[in-house]
Amino acid sequence: MDRVLRQPGEHPDRTMEITRRMFIHKSLLAGAAAGAATAGWFPWLNTLDLAFGAEAFKFVWISDSHLYPKTLNTRFIDKVTRAVKDVQAMSPPADFLIYGGDLAQLGDPVELDLGAEILKEVTIKKVFIPGEHDWYLDMGVKWEKLFGKSSWTFDHKGVRFIGLDTVSRGPDYWTAKKMTPKERMGHMATLDGSVAGAWAGVGRDQLAWLSTTLSTWPKNKPVVIFSHNPLYEYYPPWNFWVRDWREVHEVLAPFTNVTNIHGHTHQVLYNEIGKVRSIGMLATSWTWPYAPEGVPALTKCVVRVDPGDPFDGVGWSKLTVSAAEKIENDYVMWRKDILGETPWDSGCADNANQILSPRLADREWPYYGAYK
Amino acid sequence: MKRPRKMKTILGASLCLLLVVTSGPNPAFAHKAKHTPEQLKAFEQVFMEQVKVGDLLFHGDEATQKRLGVTLSNTGMACAMCHPFASDTHPYTFPKFQEQVNKFAPLRDMINWCIEKAAEGEKIETDSDAMKALETYIYWSTRGSKLDPGRH
Repeated sequence: MDRVLRQPGEHPDRTMEITRRMFIHKSLLAGAAAGAATAGWFPWLNTLDLAFGAEAFKFVWISDSHLYPKTLNTRFIDKVTRAVKDVQAMSPPADFLIYGGDLAQLGDPVELDLGAEILKEVTIKKVFIPGEHDWYLDMGVKWEKLFGKSSWTFDHKGVRFIGLDTVSRGPDYWTAKKMTPKERMGHMATLDGSVAGAWAGVGRDQLAWLSTTLSTWPKNKPVVIFSHNPLYEYYPPWNFWVRDWREVHEVLAPFTNVTNIHGHTHQVLYNEIGKVRSIGMLATSWTWPYAPEGVPALTKCVVRVDPGDPFDGVGWSKLTVSAAEKIENDYVMWRKDILGETPWDSGCADNANQILSPRLADREWPYYGAYK
Repeated sequence: MKRPRKMKTILGASLCLLLVVTSGPNPAFAHKAKHTPEQLKAFEQVFMEQVKVGDLLFHGDEATQKRLGVTLSNTGMACAMCHPFASDTHPYTFPKFQEQVNKFAPLRDMINWCIEKAAEGEKIETDSDAMKALETYIYWSTRGSKLDPGRH
């Protein structure tokens, strides 16, 4: 796909290269992109703030808190609360917080209210995009009441930020089968379920909106797109992927400095397609293991998480837009030993000997086949 | 040539024993008989039924838990939340020294550890139907992986 989207002789803008900060902090360890020179491994040492005279700033990301009502489960509350305290303690403060979806576990209004209450502690500007767990009990009614429109755009210090809604346009797998809202939500909340089909998508209306939104934006100026799901095809059997991701990339193709920041995958993740790079954010709730195949080539896998430590492998992210318009990500993972130096410590090393099968019960489930 | 009386007795007893062990059903030797297609289908059906039960338990199905009298979580969580398709369970590496339980352990000990610690549920009997079903689902879902016992 990279070869298709990248025109002959076209290369990512230098701001797409691995930054020094990322390299030193090992927040991400990237290999060379397809066709990139060996130099792609190394940081660009030009740290002079020359381009555009823009102003450096920070913003932060928290997502995937998966809150249950307090009466049932407080383990995830503790962690998002810690993230909120961390953000509040930043000095100087970040310019804004993006909450990247899946605040609730089952879309329960109690869960959403609880999340909104916890996030109230953050006093800097806040923007929100939805996750599927927030949406499918009442089809986004409560979420929109609390947090507003599910897609939006604003410009900040020379960067165009866009919040994309990748969750609300799931194909209708519930009406014909007369599912209750709880049943609909239950199927949607299962990462390895097949009943909901390929639900993640941007949709034609939003694609048109994205195109219009970007039509006046200079092609060489930074664009940051927030989406709950990654904007590429990462292991479809687990419902990670956005079904119309190719169309999104076509809209983004003319722009030279595009960063997609996404949640949903709950893991250290990095990928490049053409001129667009995607960075997967940590969850505050729990980690997903890496998929058995299709892990992007540019990923350095996080070490296998200790399941006995609820704060291991989870956290939030601090992102810096430098004056040179480079965007750097610093994972704030509460346990610091995040990268395995030896193959047997790596979450990706498991893939070499891990062959997995799709669910059986789904195939025999009464609702199977509702979506084709 | 005339056989001694004792020899005849031994020969007769041996023949009788041979007749006993080769005639009629004997569970101890059942595997020697060639399975019929019907038998094979029945065996597979029993196995796949357990896979399905295990799949439902693994994904937190309340009705199945109730039927089997188990509570795998008191927090609303389910095994599949951390282990989609039973990934990262690595059943083919058991038994092995398992750090969480601090002993050389079979898979079922780790399943119970996860139920108690990660999902905050109630430990299940190691020879219970629920444990067998969970093990069956995990092994089925990761079949094809290379057997690699002891690997950490």
